[in-house]
Amino acid sequence: MFDKVLIANRGEIALRIHRACHEMGIQTVAIHSTADNDAMHVRLADESVCIGPPPAKDSYLNIPAILSAATITGADAIHPGYGFLSENARFAELVEEHGFTFIGPTPEHIRMMGDKIVAKQTAAKLGLPLVPGSPGPVDNLDEVKALGKEIGYPVLIKAVAGGGGRGMKVIDSEGQAEEAFNLARQEATAAFGNGSVYVEKYLGKPRHIEIQILADTHGNVVHLGERDCSLQRRHQKVLEETPSPALNREMRERIGGLAADAIRTMGYRGVGTLEFLFQDGEFYFIEMNTRLQVEHPITEAITGIDLVREQIRVATGGTLGLTQAAIKFAGHAIECRINAEHPETFVPSPGRITDYHPPGGLGVRVDSALYAGYRMPPYYDSLVAKLIVAGTNRNECLMRLRRALEEYVVGGIDTTIPLHQRLIAQPDFVNGDYNIHWLERLVGLKK
Amino acid sequence: MSKNQDDLDLVRRLAGMLNEAGLSEIEYEVDNRRIRVSRTITPIAAPVVLPGAAVAAGPGTIAAPAAAADDNNHPGAVKSPMVGTAYMSPEPGKPAFVAVGDKVAAGQTLLIIEAMKTFNPIKATKAGTVTKVVVENAQPVEFGQVLMVVE
Repeated sequence: MFDKVLIANRGEIALRIHRACHEMGIQTVAIHSTADNDAMHVRLADESVCIGPPPAKDSYLNIPAILSAATITGADAIHPGYGFLSENARFAELVEEHGFTFIGPTPEHIRMMGDKIVAKQTAAKLGLPLVPGSPGPVDNLDEVKALGKEIGYPVLIKAVAGGGGRGMKVIDSEGQAEEAFNLARQEATAAFGNGSVYVEKYLGKPRHIEIQILADTHGNVVHLGERDCSLQRRHQKVLEETPSPALNREMRERIGGLAADAIRTMGYRGVGTLEFLFQDGEFYFIEMNTRLQVEHPITEAITGIDLVREQIRVATGGTLGLTQAAIKFAGHAIECRINAEHPETFVPSPGRITDYHPPGGLGVRVDSALYAGYRMPPYYDSLVAKLIVAGTNRNECLMRLRRALEEYVVGGIDTTIPLHQRLIAQPDFVNGDYNIHWLERLVGLKK
Repeated sequence: MSKNQDDLDLVRRLAGMLNEAGLSEIEYEVDNRRIRVSRTITPIAAPVVLPGAAVAAGPGTIAAPAAAADDNNHPGAVKSPMVGTAYMSPEPGKPAFVAVGDKVAAGQTLLIIEAMKTFNPIKATKAGTVTKVVVENAQPVEFGQVLMVVE
């Protein structure tokens, strides 16, 4: 087992990783920018190293600084969290070249799934169903138009090096193709350093359903069920729940089994999530995330399995103590991502937290780095808390979530707590009758 | 930061507390680490505190936390631009680049920080006199840490 793990991240996930480490008797090293000098995980970690000024490129994305920090503190392993360098294959390689264990998959698998075209081709080879689309990147407008005719509009143009919902444009008809194609390539180059794009069918009313998998280095793979992440705004998830109201046991076992088989064939290690669109009873693979996800706590709630602990155990070469048959899904869980944004205009709201009172009680979990007096820095993303509520069934879960949201006090900044209160009161949501366009229609972003 | 640095800081603070409270011994234990700091107090009439008098001898000279904060805000503070290990001389066995009292020119190398096997010279940004050397040879340093003071 590791003696010391360096946490190469910040905010709530850094705190999450610290907690798992301390529960395993592992010492923690928190690396941080000057803007995070007073962050909760920095205060709680056994050691901390300031690695740079606030901008992410000089701190949380600064590979030499992170590796130096690991060297001077004598860390054994590095946990990359999510975002930042977690899906940077070069970082994973360098970590291992410098003699540390990277808590995650191999650089090859990160690279494979980081290229969205290669990911789809790999998925197809592994027997997973795909969204109809271009077999590879599209080089010119004529190709886009030909695909539009073949697949049928509307189509989506997506960045090959994108992911996480970024770098996508909808083309409703051939007339829009030229502008969308050029814009998409420009934006992809600016955001990802790679202007390559591909085309996919745009599904009209799909749900976003993802499968959590866990694999060790001895060929053992399990799936931990699905998460329905259809409530999204600008392709960013807002609320997630498990089980999905749209799936029954047979469908879950089928898609979970397909996912686990694919992972087993790949020889993948650690945690991973296969994301699908689900419409009219059919699943369509869109991408795989080779890291821990933000919404992992809802899976933990219904399976009782600590995913960060499992990541660490797998990274030490441990064997999964679980067979698929032994995994039980009990109850229902929902996570609300609470952002420091105005609940209606979504204008970001960094600032100093004055009062802070998170909800509690049976089945209520809050993963957050907030505390009274904390000054939220403006340099990073706006997620400030995850409220995870579990119940024996979906109704109980909804009642409990409504109660928890009404108790939650965050003074000094705007938060999207009122938005969540509004969402869960909608009859469509209560009935589980929603898809990935539903939230944007509700808040008026779409017709 | 590193465990050794934590221990040194803790010893300094405990020693400071000895003086402030006029105690002869403090023992501090957490988990399975224990630090004890003690001194002999010569029994005399109530000690007279003279303004500006040097603090009574405790184990090791103390840089109280207040002094460290002063260094941070000192206009002549040379702060580390990176994470790594500080070396005060060009090679082991060679004399240090600078010592307290030395006059330095702008651009003169004050120390080296090693990171990932590359050695990075840290240079004076303006001419002045080295009034304080805060870090020691082979000490790990973080971004923004005060290395020296040049006035």
